[in-house]
Amino acid sequence: MPRRVVDRLVLPLAGSLTTYLVLVGGGTVYAAIGNSASDGLVTQMLINAVVVLGMQIYIGNTGVLSFGHIGFGAIAGYAFAICAISPERKAAQIPNAPFGLAEVDLTPLQSSLVAALIAVVVAFVIGLGLARSGARSGAVAATVITLALLFVVHEVARNWIDLTRGGKAGLSFSPLSGVTLQGRGWIYLALLLALVAARLFKETRYGRLAQAAREDDLAARSMGVHPALQQMIALLLSVFVVSIGATLRVFELGSINPRLFFFKYTLLTLTMLIVGGRNSVVGALVGVVIITTGSELTRYLAGPSVDLPLLGWVLRSGLTDVFLGASMLGFMIFRPNGVLGDWEPDHWIARRSDRKSTEKQPELPPVDDSRPDGFLRVTDVVVDFGGFRALDGVSLTASSNEVVGLIGPNGAGKTTLLNTITSLVTPSAGSIRLDQDVLDGLPSHLIARAGIVRTFQNLRLFPALSVQENIEVARLAAAGHTGGRWQPDVELLVRASGLTELRHRRASELDYGNARRLELARAAAAAPRYLLLDEPTSGMGDLESEQMIHRIREVAGLVQAGVLVVDHDLNFITGICDRVYVLDQGKVIAVGTPDEVSQNLVVQAAYLGGPIGPSR
Amino acid sequence: MTELLQQVVDGFGRGGIYALIALGIAVIFGVMHLVNFAHGELITVSAYAAYGLFAAGWDWWLIAPAIVLIAGLTSVAIEFVAFRWVRGAPDFTMLMTSFGVHFLVQAAFVMYVSANFRQFPRPGWIFQTWRVGGVSLEVFDLLVILFTLLTLAATYWVLQRTMFGMSLRAAAEDFDAARLMGIRSDRIIRGAFALSGLLAGVAAVFWLMRSGQAGPSAGLSPMLKGVLAALIGGLGSLTGAVMGGVILGMAEVLLISRLPEGLVGLTDGIVFLLIALLFVFRPQGLVTVRRAERV
Repeated sequence: MPRRVVDRLVLPLAGSLTTYLVLVGGGTVYAAIGNSASDGLVTQMLINAVVVLGMQIYIGNTGVLSFGHIGFGAIAGYAFAICAISPERKAAQIPNAPFGLAEVDLTPLQSSLVAALIAVVVAFVIGLGLARSGARSGAVAATVITLALLFVVHEVARNWIDLTRGGKAGLSFSPLSGVTLQGRGWIYLALLLALVAARLFKETRYGRLAQAAREDDLAARSMGVHPALQQMIALLLSVFVVSIGATLRVFELGSINPRLFFFKYTLLTLTMLIVGGRNSVVGALVGVVIITTGSELTRYLAGPSVDLPLLGWVLRSGLTDVFLGASMLGFMIFRPNGVLGDWEPDHWIARRSDRKSTEKQPELPPVDDSRPDGFLRVTDVVVDFGGFRALDGVSLTASSNEVVGLIGPNGAGKTTLLNTITSLVTPSAGSIRLDQDVLDGLPSHLIARAGIVRTFQNLRLFPALSVQENIEVARLAAAGHTGGRWQPDVELLVRASGLTELRHRRASELDYGNARRLELARAAAAAPRYLLLDEPTSGMGDLESEQMIHRIREVAGLVQAGVLVVDHDLNFITGICDRVYVLDQGKVIAVGTPDEVSQNLVVQAAYLGGPIGPSR
Repeated sequence: MTELLQQVVDGFGRGGIYALIALGIAVIFGVMHLVNFAHGELITVSAYAAYGLFAAGWDWWLIAPAIVLIAGLTSVAIEFVAFRWVRGAPDFTMLMTSFGVHFLVQAAFVMYVSANFRQFPRPGWIFQTWRVGGVSLEVFDLLVILFTLLTLAATYWVLQRTMFGMSLRAAAEDFDAARLMGIRSDRIIRGAFALSGLLAGVAAVFWLMRSGQAGPSAGLSPMLKGVLAALIGGLGSLTGAVMGGVILGMAEVLLISRLPEGLVGLTDGIVFLLIALLFVFRPQGLVTVRRAERV
């Protein structure tokens, strides 16, 4: 079996199944040795697990803090109840239901699917809004929009009496409340499907790219990823799973009212997700177990059967909510990534098998210096920051066969020029063209798709992803927008950047030099025709920056890209560049081979602050 | 015409309180990049303080300054216990931390006081009205407007003229640079929380005069209004926050007067919906703050 299938399908499936068996087995044993109350507790825990897994798919992969998932749950819960409650019972509870809903009579399974689809349709609309608002990890606008959904659904449920029977009574399946209506079979099935869906989604292209955008939105965009599509898919899948969980919850309780899916349940499920580790699917389940256990324990301790003389002030009713709030706060302060971080059981297996296989590695192919002819042309670009003119009519041409350097003192506008080319800064005049295509006004991710990929002065890796995943994500992004034609060899890039030993390390654990090399490799994996490198040697010693000359040439040769490099280090620039542009105060003051430029008196004056020679 | 004038006065009365809450949220956002969803807990604490002080036989004249002080101290205490640890953490962590504080404080009040609301007397005279040319002016609205202006003037003076204020503005502009210039981040952040707490305290006085009750979730509604107003104002901008508060107050008054009878109960929901729509189209708020990310 090919290695990739094993890594991304077989092992995750095996890991999920193991987890599933442990969870369900543990639950069954506990229910068997306990009384009827523990049986109900296990059932609720498994249902909560489905809901939390659903939330993990969105919150975990995208990093967007959503308060709305329980709102989607409320929509699904009501839709389910209205479809599944028998017409006779509805006649007694909501005789005036609109749209002829009083007559609807579906089986629970049908109702559940209908309800989930309705919630998914609402989620699609909300998802469009979130995308429009520029949702990304930690974005406040997204959190407020989802919070608004939770509130609005709650208000509607309380006030649309004809449909929901309002806040006091709610809808119920049976005149007797609290009757369990089902066995656990459907719950087991739903949990298994939710677990597999959540775990496999992490490995899909959409999951990977969403994670990259979660780690660093700007860096993802600069490799051609526009996170909106991934976030939407994550949202729809996630809402579907949450909705199924919500319908199970309603069916299990036999009734629904507006409070069932509001703040309290949001707090409970979010705490479960966060305590276990929101980036990990297994973590979400671990969180469910920890919080369920903790809640039960605190409920027992605060109950009448426990009486400890000195602890009377803690052991009182309400302790469970304090426990939830304190868990959420405590984990955010001391362990924001939860118990498991982004660990999955199959990572462990993968890493172990990797250690064993030290098979022979293919030689690097010889560097190929021939590239398709082409040029990147910047014409008369002007950039103003308020009253300050950062670039004042800069023109520059780089062909795909050369390495072009860009030097100049601090504040000369070097990084601003790169930012302008990659559309992070909007010029007030001028034009940028790649071959015959005009790039003006294109957003960053389209610039990257056109073939201009950059690195950043202050390093923007995807910190929680491993070295290999960082590169892999860039390749995935490129494979998407080049229609799968372009498949750089991740293996070769890892080796050309000298990162073979570190491939399973997290990017956040790398030292400065390795991080720079990784950023170079990642950019190269994104199918560039031009690599724009912003100070690739900053923070490196002489020896390292000397080596960087070869690495850049080698990597650029591997992917056949032209290079435009900004740096301070004159030795490095002289060593690597075919041609050099010198910027000072927003203007190009000299162009030429490294030798010509370093002889230029104007350049010397700009660099050293000496008197300007007669040549001016 | 008179109707419009009436609504403007009412809108300022409501909006003034929102502006003070929003300003506090914006001040903290400026120094810490934290959107404080726990800001409402200051009002919850104030509400219980008011309830307790009433029980002890105090009068509004003494309770009001006491509340302002208590809110200020609570704010500093919350920073010390919780937010100090997540300085510079990713946005997700900070958001979640503030929700954690919100839920924890709420749960603690349920546990130690009661889940039910407790009533305390509202000062009757503030609801008297004067009629001036067809417009009825409530003493309360006038008081809110007066004190909001006074508080804003004082805040402005602190920010513009004192060493602390200048450091705070510098830190809001560029935190790292301010630190390198020798501004002590600890002090600035603590000061920002104190200032934000005092502002919330002033807002709490008026909020409580009108509501006259204390409950574990008393802070939820003012917090949401404040956060929304601050977001309308573009979060980082202090002027924006004040404007956001006034805009929100006006919008509510206009909505209430124009909504059909059956929907008035849904005002909060509708306002929330409208603001959510606003963020869909202008996630950076109405007042745009230039906040270029360094790359």
